[in-house]
Amino acid sequence: MPVATAEKTRLSLGFIALTDCAPLAVARELGFFDQAGLDVSLVKEASWGNIRDKVSYGLLDGAQMLAPMPLAATLGLGTRAVAMITGLVLSYNGLAVTLSQALFDQLDLDPQTVQTPEQIGQLLRQYCQHNREHGDAKPRLATVYPYSCHFYQLHQWLLAHSIVPGEDIELVALPPTRMLSTLKAGEIDGYCVGEPWNSLAEQQQLGRVIVSGHQIAPDAIEKVFGVTQQWATEHPITHQRLLSALSQACQWLDKPENQPELQQLLLHPDYLGPHAPAKNLQPHQPVLHKFWHQQNIPHPASAVELLEQMRARGQWQGENLLQVAEAVYRPELAPN
Amino acid sequence: MQTTSLSVLLVDDQPARMQTLQDALHASGHTVVSQLTGVHGLSEHVQQCKPDIVIIDMDSPDRDTLESMAAMSRDAPRPIVFFAEQEQDAVTIGEAIRAGVSTYIADGLQPDRVRPIIETAIAHFHHYQQLRTELDSTRDQLASRKVTEKAKGLLMKHHNCSEEQAFKTLRKLAMDRGQKLTDVASEVIRMFEASAHQGENRR
Repeated sequence: MPVATAEKTRLSLGFIALTDCAPLAVARELGFFDQAGLDVSLVKEASWGNIRDKVSYGLLDGAQMLAPMPLAATLGLGTRAVAMITGLVLSYNGLAVTLSQALFDQLDLDPQTVQTPEQIGQLLRQYCQHNREHGDAKPRLATVYPYSCHFYQLHQWLLAHSIVPGEDIELVALPPTRMLSTLKAGEIDGYCVGEPWNSLAEQQQLGRVIVSGHQIAPDAIEKVFGVTQQWATEHPITHQRLLSALSQACQWLDKPENQPELQQLLLHPDYLGPHAPAKNLQPHQPVLHKFWHQQNIPHPASAVELLEQMRARGQWQGENLLQVAEAVYRPELAPN
Repeated sequence: MQTTSLSVLLVDDQPARMQTLQDALHASGHTVVSQLTGVHGLSEHVQQCKPDIVIIDMDSPDRDTLESMAAMSRDAPRPIVFFAEQEQDAVTIGEAIRAGVSTYIADGLQPDRVRPIIETAIAHFHHYQQLRTELDSTRDQLASRKVTEKAKGLLMKHHNCSEEQAFKTLRKLAMDRGQKLTDVASEVIRMFEASAHQGENRR
């Protein structure tokens, strides 16, 4: 039994309605927060910008965050600099690149063979080259947020196939909720986004998943639990209990026998509602993720990789990578 | 054209709020273009009309579109937070977030020129939020009264007691359990409904 009293027991945590909000949903619905003596309300936010700002200004105690978010906030990229930290990873991978069915059909694939991401990448490059030589429009791909694994991994994958964003492909920004309808309207030719939006495109026969994040960057940290440094300093016990409850949820999620219950839970309108991923859907390219991996410890080495991506994309010019990484990714806070 | 006149893009899904804010900014001599959220092509819209300021409802997922544009292109409006070097501006931004409104402004604009616009937006969003809170609380009160009435009715019918006795029973239950009267009333209703349901099944 915990002896010390939590500094604060009524808490508001923010999340975005994506499949990987599961650790927060499970910790609340299965009573892991309650068991830790915490009365937690979960607040569904409309944008990542809201998550960052509301945590920065204390309207939320903490939130599900994109892995690069606490780093970007600490560095003041696209925002006023507010020191943030994470003591727990919430998920690994779980994003994918989807092309519209129309573009996919034009890639000239041999329907008899299994299509690997490499083959598709090569064909996409040929398609882009052809378009460029003939002065045709560049394919347009959408991403959600600039300081995100989607943005970095999409660049990584395209560049690995010598497809240069900006030159061969036009990149545009769209919120996840608008991806499917925009793809359907033919205004974009594909996107890189978290689940369920890739599987849903296949389910509605609007697009094809061509590569999943786990094939681009295996076990890359996707979401973390983030708070401000100040909040963590003022609420050390509360923070520890939150992290323990979330870690419990992640371990629960790791068990295959719990998947039906998770699907049921995400169907609730408080979470994904009608956008919850369909039960028996298996995309051509499965979009794999992990909720539990090496105890979900946020290692600074992973943060350094993200900072390198920021530099490669021209978002940051700093030199002190390890120093920033160690200030933000805090392995010592992860529950044992 | 006045030198103080700026072009403002409003993105909001509350037509009434958008209209009053638009009128107020018009009255101050600004050019205002309004757009409901949920409309396609916000990026193209911003690129075409090149607003000095974008004011956006924080309930709109398109905030991230503006954040991406700011990160990807030098010409796109930047989050107002870049101007938050002074304490006063940081306070203003905090107020804006609490009121549920976010602002992006074109590079090179002086904070002094945009501050009045932001303050007008905050005032309108704040006012709207107050109205909403009042409406919600009235609705809650009505709902809770309805629940209590129904629970009283059930107790009177099944326990054959007076309205006063039924109310006392509910209040005692609430006090004993340290719960709200409405919560106890809901539970009483659930219990009666469950037993009625069981009765039906047995038949």
